[in-house]
Amino acid sequence: MNQVSVLAQNIPVESHAEASLLEVRDFSLRRKKATVLDRITLSLSPGETLGLIGESGAGKSTLAMALIGLLRAPEVEIEGSLRFRGTELTALKEADFRRLRGNKIGLIFQDATAALNPCFTVGKQIAEPLRRHLGLSASACRARAVELMQSVGIPEPRLRLDAYPHELSGGMQQRIMIAIALACNPELLLADEPTSALDVTIQAQIMELILDRVRALNSSAIFVLHDLALGAQVCDRIAVMYAGQIVEEGPSERVLNAPLHPYTQGLKSCVVELGMPTLTPIPGQIPPLDAMPNGCRFAPRCPKAQAICGEQRPETQTRDGRQVACWFID
Amino acid sequence: MSHALDLSASFQASSWRRRFLQPLMRQRSAVVGLVIILAYVLAAVFAPWLATHNPTAQDLGAALQGPSAAHWLGTDSFGQDLYSRLLYGAQLALIIGFASVALGLVAGVAIGLAAGLIGGRTEWVLMRIVDGLLAFPELILAMAFMAVLGLGTENLVYALALSFVGPFARMTRGDVLQVKSQPFIEAARLMGVPTLAIIWRHVLPNVVSPILVQAGMRVSIAILLESGLSFLGIGVVPPTPDWGLMIAEGRGFITIAPWISGVPGVALAILLVALNLLGDGLRDAFDPNTQKDA
Amino acid sequence: MQETIFSLLDVERVYTLGTTGWFRRKTRQLKALDGIRLELKHGDTLALVGESGSGKSTLIRLMLGLEPASDGRVLYGQHDLAHLDAEARKRFAREVAFIYQNARGSMNPRMRIADILAEPVRLHRLCEEQAIPARVEALIARVGLPAGLLQRFPGELSGGQVRRIAIARALAAEPNVIMADESVAGLDVSVQAQVLNLLRDLCRESGITLVFITHDLGVASYLCEKIAVLYLGRIVEQGPTHDILSTPRHPYTKALLQAFPRFDAPLCASLKGEIPSPVNLPKGCRFAGRCAQVQSACLEVDPPLTLLTPERQVACLFPVVNPC
Repeated sequence: MNQVSVLAQNIPVESHAEASLLEVRDFSLRRKKATVLDRITLSLSPGETLGLIGESGAGKSTLAMALIGLLRAPEVEIEGSLRFRGTELTALKEADFRRLRGNKIGLIFQDATAALNPCFTVGKQIAEPLRRHLGLSASACRARAVELMQSVGIPEPRLRLDAYPHELSGGMQQRIMIAIALACNPELLLADEPTSALDVTIQAQIMELILDRVRALNSSAIFVLHDLALGAQVCDRIAVMYAGQIVEEGPSERVLNAPLHPYTQGLKSCVVELGMPTLTPIPGQIPPLDAMPNGCRFAPRCPKAQAICGEQRPETQTRDGRQVACWFID
Repeated sequence: MSHALDLSASFQASSWRRRFLQPLMRQRSAVVGLVIILAYVLAAVFAPWLATHNPTAQDLGAALQGPSAAHWLGTDSFGQDLYSRLLYGAQLALIIGFASVALGLVAGVAIGLAAGLIGGRTEWVLMRIVDGLLAFPELILAMAFMAVLGLGTENLVYALALSFVGPFARMTRGDVLQVKSQPFIEAARLMGVPTLAIIWRHVLPNVVSPILVQAGMRVSIAILLESGLSFLGIGVVPPTPDWGLMIAEGRGFITIAPWISGVPGVALAILLVALNLLGDGLRDAFDPNTQKDA
Repeated sequence: MQETIFSLLDVERVYTLGTTGWFRRKTRQLKALDGIRLELKHGDTLALVGESGSGKSTLIRLMLGLEPASDGRVLYGQHDLAHLDAEARKRFAREVAFIYQNARGSMNPRMRIADILAEPVRLHRLCEEQAIPARVEALIARVGLPAGLLQRFPGELSGGQVRRIAIARALAAEPNVIMADESVAGLDVSVQAQVLNLLRDLCRESGITLVFITHDLGVASYLCEKIAVLYLGRIVEQGPTHDILSTPRHPYTKALLQAFPRFDAPLCASLKGEIPSPVNLPKGCRFAGRCAQVQSACLEVDPPLTLLTPERQVACLFPVVNPC
């Protein structure tokens, strides 16, 4: 395992690496001896949207937390590199991270009700990053907050400015979260299941809004999602995660319409589509982190598994414009 | 989900051990508390055999003696053997502590259950009575009650029990109300489970463990109150071997014979700490908020 | 002709909200359900679909007898649910099972799975006391779980396992009707697929009548042969699943369909705004405020649920002609 990571580090930095906004290389995260994230390699160009997709326990949210420095040493053991605009994040101090979060990196959480502070008006909460990161005056904050609320489609923003979160509906709260996340025109937006608590109709509105704002600011976005079809609709690229590894990564239409990895194929056959005759569930479940199989982590559940799959981890290969980690790609 | 494998292995243990003993044994401080309390209980139970003297036998010739071979912990101003009095005192303290809490618990839980389950006007009346009881600090309430009933061990138990009815009733009612609103109660009703069976099978088991934890903590309060009342002279009557009385008695000789107050004082302090340790341990072991399958 | 199990006759459910002023008490009426007419026959599988706040859950609570209807009647067979005698109530409890959205919360956390599953069996005296363990094992096997789980507590099971246990418990009393509230929401897709397949097999094998609440049209189409779309306490469209999905006639149904994430179509925020509060309902069609093809008549006339074909009903003055 060490040998492989040394090899990976020796690969010369490709030219496009300079241009990418976020560059994750052989990033591993261990908690209490269990490898929660295993050699994640990803890159994100400016203006691109990436979807992290997988079942719960796949490590999607852990990766997102690590990206924004909410999970770091000594709490967990970290290996590999995370570069944001060329800055190595793993070496960053907490104070510097704080300057990044909410400023250059905007965050949207799943549960807006829990993420918003019930004691402050939404106006104050939108103004907070403006004051902290941009140093705007109180009146400028207010004006900008109204502008932001308008941009996320909140009717009568001047009146809602002094509303408390509980006075707004779930959809409206999520819009406030988006306004806060976008307050400082971030270059990267990280959205962890932003719509899974909402109705489909509101989900479509919110997703459209996020995409619209991200495009208007020419930022990049990472979506943590469990809904594959939604991923196909909102993401340029998709990274399918399984048990802490990326098993397939590439342009979303290719990954989701003609998946190569058996896990992606399995996931897709479980998705309920309109008028679908049958669903084929993947047998079994994600193994516990402290009992991961030695070879391919998906092998115990894989219909194509053979002897080698249980023994050796498949290397990531480039195939048909995407990265796939499987021994038997058709 | 990730614990699926190791759980089935540990599953062999019998249900009682798994449910009560194992989680409790995981709390180290609780084990320490339990051991100390067991020692006290043993001392109390075997006091007649362990004691070297009659605890109430006075020997003025041997008064105010320090620890010696004849009197291991010394004697008080009446020449009574402190070691023997300490053992019998433990008996009294534990009996009064547990009996008063048990009485208060039974009455309080009954009131709380009735209030929480019946609701409406019954609840209002019961809870106003409880409010009345809770308006007085425990010590004041017990003092007033002793003043009416007169001195004596039995009356002390009733007085203390009365002061515990309020807290137990209030707590039980709160828990019952909370459990009653849980979906599984409605689900049971929907399945056609009779009301009494719902109370017995679904409500009670879910309110009982916080009440027991509370009871554990209350025992220490009861012992403290009992000693306090006796110290003030409105508890048990001398020459009954009681720690509170012993401390009060030694007050006048604190400079020349500090062991008279010191010995029962230290014994009381250690017992209270042990009871609190056990209480905290019980809470940590059975509170659903801290209970995790390890 | 199949036997009718449930019939709802113009059912209404009104909540009275009191706002206490200093000197006078104002009350407002919240109509959670308004004029619901629904018939459920033996072997039907019906999905109640709509956004949160559309009244789906209230409707199912009424059908379970957990809440009384403010107006209209809920009939179970020939009996009015509001006036069941003790005998009939007991029969109803056995024949109609409910699976809660919060499956874990619907189980006593201090009871073992074995006892949870045995409770309804014992309650309705469905078999001899000695035969109960075997019966419980058969139940857990039926939902595809190992018998080893029987000695566990609900808190020790995963989300998918708990949902299956909830299904097993619903089956324990050998019901004719199963009602389920969002029983697959929040599950991972592969677990969701397992639970959906299980429910579908059960309905097909044992001819159980199913009422399934969901906000997910995909789930509805997979499980149920009929769909009723609810909006603000009213059924706006009802009919066979296939017809509704291929040719939605109500603009709300069409919008729901478009908002449903799919691989072969771009993201489409088909509906503006949010479901309004049912406290102050507009005069005309209650969907008018969000409807893409609203006309002046819609603001005046409240459209009744009318028959389009013998099987399909829609409540719209100008039903959609061109499918999406």
